[in-house]
Formats: sequence, C-alpha cells, structure tokens
Amino acid sequence: MEVVIILIIIGIIGYLIYQSLPNTKFEKAQAYFNAKNYVEAINVLNGIFDKHNDAPAKFAECKLILGQGLKANSEKLKAFNEILELRKRINNTSSIANFENIEAKALYGIAKIQYEDSNADIDKLNQNLKFIDNANKKGLETDFNSLRTKHYYQLSESYFKKAIEIEKSNKYPDAIQVYKKSIECSEKSSNSTTKYNAVARISICRLKLNKSIDLQENSEVQKSDKEYQKDLFYRYSVYLLKNGNFQQAENIISTHLNFNSTDIEKLRDILKAEKANIALKQITQINQKIEQLYDNSLSTEEISTFYNSLDSIVSSLKTVDLELSEKVLAIKPTLFNRLLTNYISIEQYGNAINLIYKYPKFWESPELLKNLGICCYGYTSKGLLTEKNYKIVISGWLTAVYSDNVILKSLEDTSWDDNYTFSLAESIGTNYSQHEEVPENVNYDDISESNISIGATQRELLQQFETIIHKEIKDHQLSIQVNDFYDKEKESLEKVVNVLATDILFPTPHFAISNGLNNEIIKALDNDYVEYSNEEALEAGVPYIKNSTSSIVYQYFFANDIIDRINSAIEAVNSATIKKLNTKENKGWIEKFDNISTTVEDSLFNTIANKISEDDENEALIAVMEECIAFSSYNEKLKHQYSNYVANYCISQVNEENIDNFKALSLMKGAYLRSPNNPRICKNFITLIRFNLMDILNERTRKESDIYKILDWVKGNMSQTYKQNSSELSNARKEILGQLRANGVDISLFEDNNLGSILSGHSLNSQGLKMKKVLTYLTDLGSIQETSNPLDRLRQLRQQLNLDDDLPF
Amino acid sequence: MKNPYIILGVSQDVERAEIMKAQMLAMKDKKYSLQEIQIAAKQLLDPAKRLAADFMFPAKIKARRIQIIQSNLVYQDINVNELNENAFDSIK
Repeated sequence: MEVVIILIIIGIIGYLIYQSLPNTKFEKAQAYFNAKNYVEAINVLNGIFDKHNDAPAKFAECKLILGQGLKANSEKLKAFNEILELRKRINNTSSIANFENIEAKALYGIAKIQYEDSNADIDKLNQNLKFIDNANKKGLETDFNSLRTKHYYQLSESYFKKAIEIEKSNKYPDAIQVYKKSIECSEKSSNSTTKYNAVARISICRLKLNKSIDLQENSEVQKSDKEYQKDLFYRYSVYLLKNGNFQQAENIISTHLNFNSTDIEKLRDILKAEKANIALKQITQINQKIEQLYDNSLSTEEISTFYNSLDSIVSSLKTVDLELSEKVLAIKPTLFNRLLTNYISIEQYGNAINLIYKYPKFWESPELLKNLGICCYGYTSKGLLTEKNYKIVISGWLTAVYSDNVILKSLEDTSWDDNYTFSLAESIGTNYSQHEEVPENVNYDDISESNISIGATQRELLQQFETIIHKEIKDHQLSIQVNDFYDKEKESLEKVVNVLATDILFPTPHFAISNGLNNEIIKALDNDYVEYSNEEALEAGVPYIKNSTSSIVYQYFFANDIIDRINSAIEAVNSATIKKLNTKENKGWIEKFDNISTTVEDSLFNTIANKISEDDENEALIAVMEECIAFSSYNEKLKHQYSNYVANYCISQVNEENIDNFKALSLMKGAYLRSPNNPRICKNFITLIRFNLMDILNERTRKESDIYKILDWVKGNMSQTYKQNSSELSNARKEILGQLRANGVDISLFEDNNLGSILSGHSLNSQGLKMKKVLTYLTDLGSIQETSNPLDRLRQLRQQLNLDDDLPF
Repeated sequence: MKNPYIILGVSQDVERAEIMKAQMLAMKDKKYSLQEIQIAAKQLLDPAKRLAADFMFPAKIKARRIQIIQSNLVYQDINVNELNENAFDSIK
C-alpha cells in the first residue's frame, strides 16, 4: 500500500514537472490559439515569454488579432503600440526574428489608421509618410508601398486645392511652387488628371504674372480641364497680341478658341485690323520699290529680294483683300523680266538659270527657253560646269537649240534677214512638216542661197557649244562625264525627233524628267507605236522613264532589261540567275516585241562568244549556255555554239586527262542532244562511246551502269548523221572478235543468239559475259555498213595500230 | 566664242556691205586678232551662221510697265489694353 502511494506521489510530481516545462506550456498556448482563446493563450505565453523562442511572436500575434478586432481606432492604436513595446522584453535574437513579422503588421496597422485619420491634411500625410519610411516592413513591403502611393495621391490633390486658394489670393509665385509640389506627388501616384490641371494652372499663373509660356513644352495642358484650357488659351492670345505676336495669336485662336463669344470676336477683330495694317504697310513698301525700280536705283540683288518676297506677300494679302493680292501678283512677270535681263547683262548666268527654272512652265515660252539656252551657253563658256550642275545646264541648252520655235523667235528680232526666207527642211528639231503655224518667211522648201537652212543654224550652235565644252572643262573626269552625258542626251532627243510627227516641245530626257514632261513624251511615243507598230518609238522612250510603269515604253524597257540581266548573268557565269529569269511571264514580255525577240539569240550568242574568248575551258559556262538555249525561242545558233564548245572542251580535257571518259561522254550527250546532225559532234560522241565500252571491258571504270544508261538512251535517239558515222563501233567489235579468234577463243559464244554455246556445250564466265555485253552494245550502236571513204579506212587502220587513244577532232 | 557683232562693232541689223567696211575698220583698230575679225566677218556674211550669232542676243519678253498699286485700305488703331484678360477666369 505504501509503495502504491509513493508511486502515485512520484507520478503526480512527475506530471507537475512535465506540465511546468516551456514546450508543454507553448503547446498548451498553441491549443488556446487554435481555439481562438487568445486571452488564455496570452496568459500561458506570458509565463514562458523568456523561456520559449516562439513565445514572444505568438504572444504578439494574439495581441494583434485582439487589437484588429477592436472597433475604435484609438483602441486599435493602443493595442498595436503595446505590441511594439514587447520588443523591449525580448532578449534573444532568434525570438526577435520571429517577432518582427508581427511587429511589421502592427506598424502597418498603425500607419493605415493614421492615414485614415489624416483627413487629407498635408502635414499629417507627410508625417505618416516619414513614419512609413522608418517602419519595419518585413514581409509587407507591397502593402506599405501601396499605402505610400495613396498618400502621394492624396497629397497631390491637397496641394492642388491649397495652390488654388493661394492663386485666388493673387500670390502667383507661391501658387506656382505649390502646384509644382502637386505635380511631384501626382507623378509618384500616377494621378495624371491632377498633374495636367496643375501644369495648366502654372501656365495661367505665369500669364497672370505677364510672363511668357511655351506651349510646345507644355503639351500636357491640352489634356487638362476644358475650362482651364479656355482660360489659358484666351490669356495666352491676349498676351501674344499685347506683345505684337499676331501670327502666333492667330494660330492659337483658330486652333483652340474656335467658338462664338464676344470676347473671342474682339480678338479676331484685332487680328483683322492688324492684317489690314500690315497689308497697307506692304503696299506702301512695294510702291516705293516700284518707284526705285524705274529710277534704276535698285541693285540686282535688291530686285531679287523684292521679287522673292512677292509670293509670301500675295499669300498674306489674299486673306485681307483678294483684289489687292492679284494686283501684287501681276507685277511678278515684269519684275522677273527685269531681273533676268540684269542677270544676263552682268553675266550671272547661274542665277539666271535658277530664276528661269523657278518660273512656272517656262518651257512653254520660246523666249524664256531661248534665254535659258543663252544662259546655259554663257555658264559653260565661263568654265563653271561642275558635277552638280552639268546635267541641268546641258539638258537646258540642248532642249533650247533643238526647239525650232526658239530659233524662229530669233527671226523676229532682226531686220537684216528680211530679204531671206528660212527652211525647216533640214531642221534638227523636226523630222516631219509638223509645225502647225510657221511665220510667213519660213517654209519646208529646199535650201538655197536665199532660202536659209534653220538646221544649219542649229548645227552651228551645237558645234560652238561642243567647242566650248572641250575647251573650258579642265578636269579630265568631269570632261568625260559631261561629254558622255551630252552625247546620250543628244542621241535620245534625236531618236524622239525622228519618230514623232507631233508639234510639241521635244525636251532631252533629263530636262523632261526634271520638269515633269517625260510622261507626255512617253504617251506620244506609246500612241505612235499603237498606230504604226513602230518599236523605234518605244526604244526612243526608254530614257524618258522615271517611275511610271503603265506605258508600253516601260514594257519594252522591262523586256530589254530581262535580256540585259541575262547578259550580265552570262558575264558572271551565273546559270542560276538565268534559270530564275526563265519564266513564262518573262518570255511573254519578250515575245511581245519583235525587235527584242528576234535579237535575243544574237545578243546572248555574242555575250557567250566574248566569254569564250576570255576562257575557252570553263566548264561552268556549259550550264550557262544550256540555260540560254532553254530561254531563247530561237536557239539554233546557240545550240551550235554550245555543241562546239562542249566538244572542244571534252577533246582538250580528255586528251590532257583532266576528266575521265565517262564525264566526257555525259557532257557530249548534251552536245549530241542539241546538235544530233552535226557530223563533228556525232563522230566525237561515237568515239567516246567506244572509249567508255573499252573502259568497261578493261575494267577501267566503276561507272558501268551509268555508262550503259547513257548508251541505252543513245539506242533510242540515233540520228541519221550518227548512223552514218557509227562504223567506228562495228569496226571495234570486229577487231575484238579477230583478236579473240587469234587467241583460240570460241567466238560463237559471243553470238547474240547464244547458238554457239548450245552447240559447244560451253558457257561464259562473268568476264566472258561482260565481254559479250560490250560486243552486243557495239553491235547495237554501230553501223554494219562498210564505208568506201578513204579517210574512214585510214582511221580504221589507225585503230588497228592502236593510234587512236586521242579524240579525233 | 566671241560675239561677231561686238568684234566688228556693228549693230544686229547691219547690212552686208557695212560688214565688209566694219571688217576693215576692226583690222585698223587691232582690238581683236586678224583671225578673230575674219571669223566674225565670215560668220555674219553667212546667213545661217549669222542667225546662230543672233541666237545669243537675249529674247525681249513683252511685259507691262508696273503701275503704282492703289489700295482702299486705311490704317486702323488697335487697342489691346481694352481686352478683358479674365473673360474666361476658371477659378472664380
């Protein structure tokens, strides 16, 4: 009994000791926590606060949950602050680490309550921002950031309201500073509405301070409140008008104040009055200039400035007084003449050329075109041609001289020529009697002493110009460029003159393209082609193409371009490019034009011939030639060229042992295919057949099956010329059989009918079978006809003497 | 190439006979070389070449004499100070 009691006592003591252990107590607290009995949990945890690492954190968590459950913000704050106080009780670092997560939650709770209680007060918000900045945010960084953004958003609104009040009290510099703070906070919280409004208000404040603004920099004002915008743009317009900036004010009013209002109407009236005043001033100045012009007190430079100012004056006057603007416009031609005359008289030909080129449709005036010609001549004779300007000058000169009307105009200015008549019969500007109206003293009659050739005058002018080109251009490279360009322009123009019978200006290609006249020429040439099927018209039009692709001239150019590209590919020995160009569509373009389709073969033939003359042992050229044959509809010459090239190549390469007999046979098959009735090709092909069969017989080739493949093809494609020249093969067969017989071999075994083998009872081994096959092919591919040609006999003799290792021709 | 009319010192309408005389005078003056004078005379005596020389005289383009421009516009006084800057005040 005593023992039992002692055991019970020991058990009770043991149980009590167990219950008092920190871990046991923490488990008990956890059980309370799980059962949401946070008060009991706190009591237990308080007992082991310093004894269990997790106790402080769990203690704080219980306090946090209890605090969050409280209603009043003040009670919550008290609870959260108590949690913060717990940090002082914690001694060990591992407990601190666990505690900090709960502490951050308490701090966040405090910051949130303080934000809610701030009532948008700027100071309180700023203070709470500092609190957030200093707080431990462990695990709650995103929540704190979000709360901070809310502060800035609220601050941007609060600052804006504050600034409005300051602005209302007319303290604009102070207001601007506060608006800037609002902008700063808006940018941190993406509050764009407040930001745009603040930007607009700053501009308004600046205008109220009579300071300028830059609307290009502040494009955000256009996203601000509409009322702010109206206020701002109106104030800005007033500011601009007060400062004499009428043009900008007009832009602002027409763009941003486009509504009806008496105040806006007043602005418009001011602008109208200002424009009228400016117009009046301009007219006064123009009248002064006119007087100076007739006093001859204006320098050429001043006349130029006056002339160049007229367009913008006319443009501004149009909105004030249309009639007045037309009066100003009407003085331009006279002023132009005066300026041009001055430039020519002081030999400023470059300025004169520029002036003429800017005059609308100057080429329609024979006088202006003539003066352009004179200026181009003068400019060149002064040695002023450069790489930049020679095209303008030369095309201008040629267009002027080739224009009959320009020359005819010269006749009007003199009286010495009254006793003469002038003939356009040899004119270089016309090929037909096409001028609808000619002066009384001009005709198309034969040239005589009294009927002067206008063509001779034109040629004289050209000759004089060519002389100065040669004389005045010192730079060798430029001289080449200029002469080349001159010749091309002249040649192109002459082609057009020779074709067209219409009474229009014939410009050079460069002149036409520069002045937008090229399509007119192309259209006339298209019409000529349609009417007369004259492809020369299309040829003449090619240099006049700029970017339009709708004309027949362009189609002709395109077809020619295909040939050019093929020729370039031949030059580059690029068969792939030719293959790509060999399309049905491209062939269609070429077939459309006789000039091109009938000359394709010659063109390609010549390019290939040039290439062959550079290198006659280029195997890559064979593929190029094959593609050319495939491309050209007319190709007999190309085939002949190809076959001979292949034959020559094979002969030289086989003889020099650069290629084997099979390779030569393969290449020669192509030549035979394209020229089956060419005796030279057939003979060389047959010799190669023999070489290849001998190679099989003597086991000198591994391409037996490939050789037989070609020979099988030959069997089905023997031309008459082939047959006539194939005795070489039958003779070879005879020779082989003769040698076998001399060696005592039963040649009946090699008979095609196999009768010999049956009679003799013998059969052929593999070598014998190989020989039999070769002999059979020699029979099939060779002619059995005896030839009476002494040369053939001689060849047979050479074969028998083994002198025929080389190809014969 | 120099202008043959200038070399011979004659007007554009000079008659053939006068060209011969002008040639003699030019040779006396010795302002230009004998070759230049001969070429100039030859050019003016050949109608086709003379026409080429005439080409180098600028064409006179008919143009009206510019008249003083009359205008009905009168100067208007502009008083921008009368404008009400606060007409569209947005923070009233």
